Amino acid sequence: MPRETPALLPPFSRPHSRVAIRRVPTYQSDISAVLYETLREFDPPVRGKVVLLKPNLITLDPLGITNTNPAVIAAARESFLRLGASEVFIGDGSGIDRDSQAIIESMRLREFAGPLAKIFVDLNVDDVHRVSLRTRASRLKELYFPKILLRADFVVSLPKLKTHHWAGVTLSLKNMFGAVPGGCYGWPKNVLHWAGIDRAILDINAAVRPDFAIVDGIVGMEGNGPLQGALKPAGVLILGDDPVAVDSTSARVMGLLPEKVKHLAHAATLLGHIDPEKIRQLGETIAGVRTPFSVIQQFRHLRQDVNSPLWTQNCL
Amino acid sequence: MDRAFLARLRSLQNSDGGWGFNAGCESRIEPTSWALIALQEFSSSSGPDEPLNRGLRFLTAAQLQDGSWASAPGQPEGCWVTSLACWALLAHTQYSTSLLRGLRWLNDDRPRDSGFLWRMARKLADRQSISTQSASFSGWSWTPHTASWVEPTCYALIVLHAAAAAPLSNLPRRRHLAEAMLYDRMCPGGGWNCGNPHVYGVAGQPQVGPTVWALVALHENSDRRENRESLDWLENIQDTIVSPESLALAQIGLGLYGRQNSTLTERLQSSHESDKIPWSIQAIAWAALAFSDNPEWLTVLSSMPS
Repeated sequence: MPRETPALLPPFSRPHSRVAIRRVPTYQSDISAVLYETLREFDPPVRGKVVLLKPNLITLDPLGITNTNPAVIAAARESFLRLGASEVFIGDGSGIDRDSQAIIESMRLREFAGPLAKIFVDLNVDDVHRVSLRTRASRLKELYFPKILLRADFVVSLPKLKTHHWAGVTLSLKNMFGAVPGGCYGWPKNVLHWAGIDRAILDINAAVRPDFAIVDGIVGMEGNGPLQGALKPAGVLILGDDPVAVDSTSARVMGLLPEKVKHLAHAATLLGHIDPEKIRQLGETIAGVRTPFSVIQQFRHLRQDVNSPLWTQNCL
Repeated sequence: MDRAFLARLRSLQNSDGGWGFNAGCESRIEPTSWALIALQEFSSSSGPDEPLNRGLRFLTAAQLQDGSWASAPGQPEGCWVTSLACWALLAHTQYSTSLLRGLRWLNDDRPRDSGFLWRMARKLADRQSISTQSASFSGWSWTPHTASWVEPTCYALIVLHAAAAAPLSNLPRRRHLAEAMLYDRMCPGGGWNCGNPHVYGVAGQPQVGPTVWALVALHENSDRRENRESLDWLENIQDTIVSPESLALAQIGLGLYGRQNSTLTERLQSSHESDKIPWSIQAIAWAALAFSDNPEWLTVLSSMPS
C-alpha cells in the first residue's frame, strides 16, 4: 500500500543534491514562469504521475502572513501540470484548526488555484493507512498517514520560510507534520510533541520521503513563529530534490546554522545533505540573498556571526 | 432545511452502518457519532429509523474491550472519540451497558499533565515566559498519554455532565478541575482556541469550534463573565465566518445562550446551495442540528444508566 520510498542512506553513500535559489521580489511577480523554468532544470519524473503538493495551511490567514502563499501554490500546481503530471492535488492537515474550508477561504486559494472540489484534500480527515516507522528516532513505533499521501507518485513539500518557537525553523521537513492526520491524533497532534518534535520530524520524513521541496521565501516570518512572528520579506523561492538540502540552504539564507537545528542535524544522518560541499547550488548564491531572520532567545544559538569561519565556509 | 441535511446524511451512510469524514470514505467513529446525534435529534417516535439503528450497531460493534473507541480502524487504543460515541448512545437505553463501559473508561482516562510528578516539574520549571497556564488543572487529552486540550475536555465534560447520575467515582472533582482548566485556557478577551491562550507573551487567537464547545460545556455557568465575553467575541466575529462548519457551530453556540441569529442560518443555507467544496459529514450533521428549534441533543439527561 505505501508508495515505494528511497532507502535510508548515510551521507557518504548519497549522490550530491541540487538546490536552486530564485529571486522573486513579490507575489505579483511571474511566479509560474520562474517555477516552471526552474523545475524543468530538475526534470522531476512526474510525467503521467499523480503529484501531491503539501503546502503549510495552518490557520486562517486573510493577510497572507502565516500560510504558504496561494500564488505560490497555484504556480506550483500549474508548473507540475505543464511538466506532464496527470493529476496535481493540494493537501494539508492543520495542526491547530480543523476547519480547513475556513482556512482556504480566508486565504482566497480558490481565486488562485481554481475550483478546489476535486483537487483539495484535507489530510486530517482522509482515509488512513498504518505505517510502521523505519527510523524510530522518537518513541513512536507507527503512525497513521492519509492514503492520498501514500498513493501519490510524487510528494512536494511546499512550506513558508519561517522560524518556529519549538523547532527553530519550520521548512519542508517540519511542514510534514501536517501530513499526520488530526482525525487520528487531534488538534494539535500532541502525540508528536510528547514523542519529541525533532525526532518525530525525522520519523515522519523517513516514512513519507517527500520527493521535492519548494520553500516560499518571498515573504517569510521571523521571531515567534510559526503563528505569532513578524513578516520578513526575503524575496526568494528555494527549491530542490533533497528536502534536507533545501532546508539547510533556507536556514543559511535566514542567517541560521542548519547544523545546530536539531531536526536538520538528525535528518542529515539518513535523509539528505546538510554539508554545503554536497549541495550543488543553482541560481543565486546564498550570500547574495542572505536575509537574517530574528529568532526567539531560546534559539539564539542558531544565529551565526557572518564573519565567522563556519558562516563563510557555508554561505559563500 | 433540516430535512435536506438529514436526507443527505442518510444517503451518505456506508454499507457497514457508519459514516466516513467525507462521502465515500471509510467509516470512522467521530463522523458516525455526529451523524447519529443529528439523526436522533430529528427521529420520529412513531416508527423505527433504520439508518439510525444501523449506525448504532456499527458504533457498539466498534467499541474496544476496555470500553473506549479508537479514532481509526485498527488502532489498539481508545481516545477522545469515546466521548462522542457515548454522546451518541445517551438517548438509547438498549445500549446502556455499552454506554456505561464508555463512561467508565472516560472517567478513568487521565491526561499526562494530571500526574503529580509532571505537575511538580512544571511548577518548578520556569515556564511562565512560555505560557501562563496553570499546572494545577487538567481535563482530557486527544490521545492517551498526552496533555489536556480544550476540545476533548469539552466533549468529555458535556457527556459526563449528562451522566452525572452514573456510578462513577471522583466525577465531581474531575469535572471541577476540567472546568477550571477551560477557564484558565480562555484567550484574553474571550473565546478559546485549541488550548494556548498565550505563547511567549503573545495572546492566542480564539477559534469558532473550540469556543462553541467550551460554551456548551460551561453552559451551567452562563452568567460568568468569561462566558459572556466569549459569547460577545462569537457575536462580533460572526459576519466574518465563511465555512459551513463554523457557521453551523456559531449558530449552535449562540442559540444555546438565546442569542440566535437568523442571518447565520440563512448564510448556512445559501452556502449549502452554492456548495463550493463538498461538505464533510460533520458539517452536514452540525448544520442539521443548527436548525433544531428545541435542541434536545444538548440536554440529554433522561436515559442514563444508574
